[in-house]
Amino acid sequence: MSHSSEKEGKVVGNLSGESMKTIAESVAINGVGDQAAGFLAEDCTYRLKQLVQESIKFLQHGKRRKLTTNDFDMALRSNNIEPLYGFHTPDLIPFRFASGGGRELYFNEEKELDLQEVINTQLPKIPLDVSLKAHWLCIDGEQPAIPENPPPATKDQQKLQSLDTSIKSQIDKVNKPKTSSEGKSTRLKLKGADMVKLKDISTHELSVEQQLYYKEITEACVGSDETRRSEALQSLATDPGLHQMLPRYSSFISEGVKINVVQHNLALLIYLMRMVKSLMDNQTLFLEKYLHEMIPGVCTCIVSKQLCLRPDVDNHWALRDFAARLMAQISKNYSTNTNNIQARTTKMYTQALQDERSALATQYGAVAGMGELGAEVIKTFLLPNLKLLGERLKTAIEGPIINNVDKIASDHIKKLLTKYLPSVLKTVHSVSETVEDYTKEYGYLGPGLHTSVIKERTTIVTQTPVSKPSLNIQQSGTPTTPRFPSASVVPRTPTTPNIPHQQKYVIMSSQGRSSTGTQPTSLSLPTSSSSTSSSTPTIVKLVSNSNQPPPAPSSSAATVQGPSGQKYVVMSLPKDG
Amino acid sequence: SYFSDDDPTLYGDIYEDLKAFVDSSLDVHRVELAMVLYPVFVHMYFELVYNEHESTAKSFMEKFSKDQEEYYQNDISKLATVTKPEHMKGNQLMENFKASKFVIRMSRDSYTHLKRHLQEKQLNLLLNIIQEHLFIDVFDGVPRNKQQINLTCGGILGEAQRESNKTKVFYGLLKEPDINVPLEEDDEQTEGEQTDKPKKKKSKKDPLLMKKSKNDPNAPLISRIPLPELKDQDKIEKITMLRESSKRVKVDKNHPPSICFYTFLNSTHGVTSINFSEDTSLVSAGFADSVIRVYTTSPNKLRSVKSGLELELIDKDADDVFERMMDDKTSRDMKKLNGHSGPVYSTSFSPDRSSMVSCSEDGTIRLWSLQTWSNLVCFKGHNYSVWDVQFSPHGHYFVSGGHDRTARLWSTDHYQPMRIFSGHLSDVDCVQFHPNSNYIATGSSDRTVRLWDVLSGQSVRIFTGHKAPIHSLCFSPDGKYLVSSGVDQIINMWELATGSLVAQMKGHTNTVYSLAFSRDGAILSSGGLDNTVRTWDINKIYEDIDTDVDASIPIDGSNLLLGTYHTKASPVLALQFTRKNLLLAGGAFVVC
Repeated sequence: MSHSSEKEGKVVGNLSGESMKTIAESVAINGVGDQAAGFLAEDCTYRLKQLVQESIKFLQHGKRRKLTTNDFDMALRSNNIEPLYGFHTPDLIPFRFASGGGRELYFNEEKELDLQEVINTQLPKIPLDVSLKAHWLCIDGEQPAIPENPPPATKDQQKLQSLDTSIKSQIDKVNKPKTSSEGKSTRLKLKGADMVKLKDISTHELSVEQQLYYKEITEACVGSDETRRSEALQSLATDPGLHQMLPRYSSFISEGVKINVVQHNLALLIYLMRMVKSLMDNQTLFLEKYLHEMIPGVCTCIVSKQLCLRPDVDNHWALRDFAARLMAQISKNYSTNTNNIQARTTKMYTQALQDERSALATQYGAVAGMGELGAEVIKTFLLPNLKLLGERLKTAIEGPIINNVDKIASDHIKKLLTKYLPSVLKTVHSVSETVEDYTKEYGYLGPGLHTSVIKERTTIVTQTPVSKPSLNIQQSGTPTTPRFPSASVVPRTPTTPNIPHQQKYVIMSSQGRSSTGTQPTSLSLPTSSSSTSSSTPTIVKLVSNSNQPPPAPSSSAATVQGPSGQKYVVMSLPKDG
Repeated sequence: SYFSDDDPTLYGDIYEDLKAFVDSSLDVHRVELAMVLYPVFVHMYFELVYNEHESTAKSFMEKFSKDQEEYYQNDISKLATVTKPEHMKGNQLMENFKASKFVIRMSRDSYTHLKRHLQEKQLNLLLNIIQEHLFIDVFDGVPRNKQQINLTCGGILGEAQRESNKTKVFYGLLKEPDINVPLEEDDEQTEGEQTDKPKKKKSKKDPLLMKKSKNDPNAPLISRIPLPELKDQDKIEKITMLRESSKRVKVDKNHPPSICFYTFLNSTHGVTSINFSEDTSLVSAGFADSVIRVYTTSPNKLRSVKSGLELELIDKDADDVFERMMDDKTSRDMKKLNGHSGPVYSTSFSPDRSSMVSCSEDGTIRLWSLQTWSNLVCFKGHNYSVWDVQFSPHGHYFVSGGHDRTARLWSTDHYQPMRIFSGHLSDVDCVQFHPNSNYIATGSSDRTVRLWDVLSGQSVRIFTGHKAPIHSLCFSPDGKYLVSSGVDQIINMWELATGSLVAQMKGHTNTVYSLAFSRDGAILSSGGLDNTVRTWDINKIYEDIDTDVDASIPIDGSNLLLGTYHTKASPVLALQFTRKNLLLAGGAFVVC
């Protein structure tokens, strides 16, 4: 419908006569001649361009960067043209693209709304009122590091700094023009004098305020007051400008783990891991430089043979799960070809699994760690070791000497395996494989896994073809992909164990995740739809182009193609899920 | 006027021929001669369109539009949409070109060179265009170089004629009214406690006062335009102002300022304007949903006057009668003003903070009382959106500018404008009062800044050099200079006396929406859509002016930048120095 010509990068858009005809038909004027349509098209193009140029004035005076539909309405008004009546959307109008039969078409999709559903949904929350907040942007030319200001050193700068220490001084120079200019002049003199290139000594001086802050935070984090702790963790997770204190925090954590693991102090270990998590969540920090201290601590909390005083009673499993998720998050965010974090941790897990002498608790940690790293890791490293693991579990559960601790551990490992494995096994094995095949491959664990795989399969096959209210993804300029790996793999705190909610979106994407496989993600439902008691669990699957064809032909799935070639498969599940 | 029966194919050849002539001329003349190309290009295109040679016009546009200067490309793309004679009518840009001549300043040497060429070639087509649509302002002297030309080029219709900048401008400040001693004592008596301190300050302040009260030859007579008489309240205000100024902190190159930032949160409706009162005790914000919100920045809350019945009960002779008038029950941190029916593009407090004016997309200007918190007058005069409104520093008057290409002067007691300043070729985007209230500066989408005389209503200065619409203006505290900036991200500093460009400051990476001088004029702060506040060393410009003999070359602003302060994600919409030289900035947090 729209034909455009390329001219030095600029696209000159023109309406075509054909679209004029279509528009004329839509207002019941038939039989517009070709010539008339052509004239109309040219004139409309001109008028439209005039209006757009006019609306730019409203954009500029609105002091915004984005042109809105309101700007266009006001341009119409100022040109004495009748306004567009009806409701208008404040958002971008999502044009959909479709092609077929040699025709390309952009259209504005209008969905049918179920009135019942609209009525039954709870009203959205009232937006917060406008408020005015005053803060210091700078004091005597220096910008204080407060949440209201941008972080003193951005994540990119910190990243550069980790590669080249001389950059640190530059960042500081930017932030403290006065003091460093003196230092610079002396350094320049030195350079001029003997021309020896000295590596900058980077000092890590903390101001008095920072020292106080450090003390407060560390005390609160490991103290007994739960509200203070959550405040402190919140501060660690959100405050910008903590990067100067990072070396202190990382050694605090690593030392803390070393001591408390010896004393079997489970509570403190949990607190320390929550600190790691908060630091990980802080968007302004680049942790790579301090991982050498943090990873050993985290790993300890996953695979250590004893983390608490009474292994038979205390719930150290939650800590192991939590730390495993943290480890997965670390390797997702920071693993590169040079540091090989993922490969090294996987190796550690494998060793723990293969070692006959390692405690069952350790093996539990290894399984959890591998499980969190995703399907690929499970396939390559966990499945081959299952038989061995099965043997150990068998002796622990059915053996002549029954050790209570081992038995509990075995139960936990089994539970863990049924959590991670079925979805992977489903892809590895065909439907026809029987219990015997499983037993042959996985030994003792075979039958259990087989039943869980079958259960997993049935939940998907038994989808009813009846249409149920399903989630519609509003496709705007950028497709709604899971945002960040860091944001999508969110470890939950060990205090709130992972109870599957009755409603969940599973958003999967196989784009750019080939090394780790797909990661199931749980997001809580937006309030608008979660309140409808009659709504059923819904699965939304994001499938990339290469992953053909859409799964489960028997299910009621609607595939919508976005411009980027990504597909959204929207389907509904029966209520029992 | 565009009718011609020439062969349409000739145009391309003639243009190319002219271009070849420019390219082959001597280096000294080339840049000056090259200025002719753009207007000739535009008018040739119009002739082609007017005579219905649509396809030739299109190919002409496509072929030569790339040769034009970068800053004309915006206009060219607008012109390129016009391809039919019937489109030409009603196209603002096109009518501008038709109605007025494109001004080019050229040295006599270059001009004779051009003349000779045109006479030799005897090309009627080209001669007609140049005679009819171009005004060549010839000056004696050395031809200008590329850099000089670039600084003043960029207006829709070229540069300003030198003639239009010849009128004398009284840029000096008005004589400060004598604040007599008895009143001073009265004031002190009411305050009671500190009789000693203010006296000391008064004596310290005296020389400064004396200097101002001496007659400045460049200052207009105080009676040149009628100004409101000072009320007792105003005098007290003046005294507090002097007192606060004496506590002023020094800000300059070695003493960077402190900035307090006022961030609007949750402003989903979009903040369209922010404004601080002169004493920075009030902040007002206009919103896209036509609401105005006024906040207090001081501990004094905002209160309304009591109702008529209650007012009657008040003892009118009481010393604190003003205090008693106010109703404590209405005390709030924020007051909302409803009345407009479109985005509020600007607000401005009166100097005594008893009233405020606002302007909006709905074409009206409204006067609000900040005592009853209600709308007093609705000024209708502008036909379209009103982009900016500013109160006079002496009160009583205010000026507005809008989409109808005029700026208007109003007084609070007349519902019709007292002056209409027309002359801009496009929207008047911003207006500003000169500190002596005798002049008004306007910035426009035609990329010029004009200075108007309030007394005569005439344009007395035209400053060209901006390459895009102008969105902010600010006078230096001594009234000698004017700074302007806008979409082109360049900050230009103009001298009013000579009408020349003194300095150009570049550094911003997006539209500049606010400019503010420190109270002593030592530094300039600027802020805009690139989420930064920048400070510039103005003292250095003054020094350079004193030492530099050649005033024709503006100072390069590359080393004037003192500091850049990033906000998290708030465009800087307002800047204002307090009387003690603390910089206040305002913006709305934008979630991307």
